[in-house]
Amino acid sequence: MSTTALGPALAKKRVLICVGSGGVGKTTVAATLGLRAAVDGRDSLVCTIDPAKRLANSLGLSALGNAETQVPASALEPLGVTARASLHAMMLDMKQTWDDLITRVAPPDQRERILANRFYQSLSTALAGSQEYIAMEKVWELRRKGEYELVVLDTPPTAHALDFLDAPNRVLDFLDNEAAKWLLAPALKAGKLGMSLFNRSGYVLRALSKFTGTEMLQELSSFMLSLSGMNEGFRERARGVRALLEDASTGFVLVTSPHPERMDEAIHFSTLLKQHRMEVVALVVNRVHPLPTEAMWQDAATLTPTRRAKVEETLRELQVLAEQDGRGIAQLQAACPGIPLIQVPRFGLDVHDITSLWQTGRFLLGDDTF
Amino acid sequence: MAGLLDKRLWVVSGKGGVGKSTVAAALALRSARAGRRTLVCEVNTQERISRFLEHPAAGPEVKLLEENLWAVDVRPQEAMREYGLMVLRFEALYKTVFENRLVRYFLRFIPSLQELVLLGKIMYHLQEKLPDGRWRFDTIVLDAPATGHAISFLSVPQVLVQTVPQGPMSREAQKMRDLLVDPAVTAAVLVALPEEMPVNEALELHAALKDKVHIRTHAAVLNQAIPERFTEADLEALAGHPELHRVAQANHDRASLTVLAGTKLERNLHAPVFNVPRLYLPTFGRDAIEQVMGHLEALVMGDK
Ligand SMILES: Nc1ncnc2c1ncn2[C@@H]1O[C@H](COP(=O)(O)OP(=O)(O)OP(=O)(O)O)[C@@H](O)[C@H]1O
Ligand SMILES: Nc1ncnc2c1ncn2[C@@H]1O[C@H](COP(=O)(O)OP(=O)(O)OP(=O)(O)O)[C@@H](O)[C@H]1O
Ligand SMILES: [Mg+2]
Ligand SMILES: [Mg+2]
Repeated sequence: MSTTALGPALAKKRVLICVGSGGVGKTTVAATLGLRAAVDGRDSLVCTIDPAKRLANSLGLSALGNAETQVPASALEPLGVTARASLHAMMLDMKQTWDDLITRVAPPDQRERILANRFYQSLSTALAGSQEYIAMEKVWELRRKGEYELVVLDTPPTAHALDFLDAPNRVLDFLDNEAAKWLLAPALKAGKLGMSLFNRSGYVLRALSKFTGTEMLQELSSFMLSLSGMNEGFRERARGVRALLEDASTGFVLVTSPHPERMDEAIHFSTLLKQHRMEVVALVVNRVHPLPTEAMWQDAATLTPTRRAKVEETLRELQVLAEQDGRGIAQLQAACPGIPLIQVPRFGLDVHDITSLWQTGRFLLGDDTF
Repeated sequence: MAGLLDKRLWVVSGKGGVGKSTVAAALALRSARAGRRTLVCEVNTQERISRFLEHPAAGPEVKLLEENLWAVDVRPQEAMREYGLMVLRFEALYKTVFENRLVRYFLRFIPSLQELVLLGKIMYHLQEKLPDGRWRFDTIVLDAPATGHAISFLSVPQVLVQTVPQGPMSREAQKMRDLLVDPAVTAAVLVALPEEMPVNEALELHAALKDKVHIRTHAAVLNQAIPERFTEADLEALAGHPELHRVAQANHDRASLTVLAGTKLERNLHAPVFNVPRLYLPTFGRDAIEQVMGHLEALVMGDK
């Protein structure tokens, strides 16, 4: 029935990843896609990173946690449809998911030491791309278990698109501690840093320690060593994640606002996805202002003068916004040839209940257009 | 209320896309117009402020945009280099150490080093003096990252002081923290939109800044505010015009949300809220910033 590119994607893909800049509507689109897929007959999971409680509520759940929870059939009642398959939702707890991962791949005698190490804390929370990575790792894990026909992943607002796409490589990089060995081996052997100025790495180290202090370097090196025991498990998974991103059964849904000033971000993101050989199933332009119609202007002309003035002022404002959006969309289309573009209008109010999710879905799937 | 001009470091933050850069640009412009030498800093992003003000991009080095107004986009690589040179003192030594591929790799994993040098550059300019002893910049406007990133960015000195072993990094961090938490120096301006999430994020940000970073919220800006236009009677009269009614109703709803958001911010932040109306201009440039600035007059200059 669907007339947009998201129809076939919802029917065939195994993983859909919603990406885009902050606040554009990634979470809304992800929840909508999961809902729609379940209604149309595929067991689906929406994996969100959004702590907003209203999302949970709009799916008929009191809260979302790190465990997968089934959305009750009663939640769909207002829609007058029944889902032909199950819909699950979960909210990814980044820290917990990292801890689970370490617990899984670390040698038992090293676990506690790693979890408590401050470099681990910074790897799991601060390293650019680590949130993005853990979200994808979770999807890889879910996909491997194969309980769902479709997993829709909502991603954190990404300041730099590259943090996202590069995440598996960075994690692999981190594990590739050749550098650490080269830098630290002599020091470790000597039991002390910077023993020898004649040794090249000792010299670099001493300079480096002017920045960080020697203690910091020592701690970092011992952390790297404790990680080496789990390298293979970790590495294999990171490779799996990378392969998943490039897999033909995985698709990206790039969400953007129509504003011409924000377009560069979406265009940049789509270029990068292409460079990384990842498939963009659709570009969703969300919150588009529709152009007031001729009929509306004519209708306004029949009102009493004060009301007419108020209404016409409002229509003029909407016209400015619609024309702005039009320019943005034209730019986007020109910059991303061959990628299907889907427009969703700006609704009067936020999308915070199942009915408005459903309404969003009608535009995403092309049942409604404007 | 006292104006922002009494402070030297103005930190602007809020949810992504709410208008942080817009507000930062307007505040910086007003400060410059008040005769203060003003530096506006963006942090490692797609530069917007120079573009809003219709100047060429500033780039990673402090650049004069117009009278009394300088801009910079603080980027990690350049900031790291400046910091490196400051510590190591010699270009050649810096090159041997920092341009070593393995060292670069290594530095990426030192917790928060990147944030520390970014913030460090800003704090350096805050303390920089002219040969005659005056501040090089009277005002620094920091267009901070969005909520979550802003909190971790601004907490870096605090976190490092607590967690990093004594050493050069922790000493730097200590100095920065002392300036950041000094209420005579630093003030935060939180930006929100009249929508639920942006308002909630402003409240979260306020709490985190207060409890974790110890920065005071000076004021909030409710951007893209929609003023009341349609009365209930207007809406009733439009009942026979369904399409127009929908448009009017949407406008009315947004106006109500604006009132609600304003009240919620005021109650929870215990700080004044300044409304900046939504502007309808074909392009958002200097004219827009000048208009926004007009609505922030009392925020900068204080009540007369
Ligand atoms: N088409 C629309 N019309 C009106 N409101 C919308 C529309 N789409 C989304 N919204 C609202 O906009 C806000 C932001 O949407 P959402 O949370 O989905 O964005 P996001 O990209 O996930 O944000 P973040 O980057 O912060 O995670 C929400 O309050 C949502 O209800
Ligand atoms: N008062 C306003 N009226 C109309 N449009 C506005 C207003 N304020 C901001 N905008 C629009 O919103 C866009 C986003 O604003 P801005 O870049 O300042 O947000 P930001 O919070 O800095 O975003 P980011 O989180 O991406 O840094 C601007 O490009 C401008 O077009
Ligand atoms: Mg979200
Ligand atoms: Mg900005």
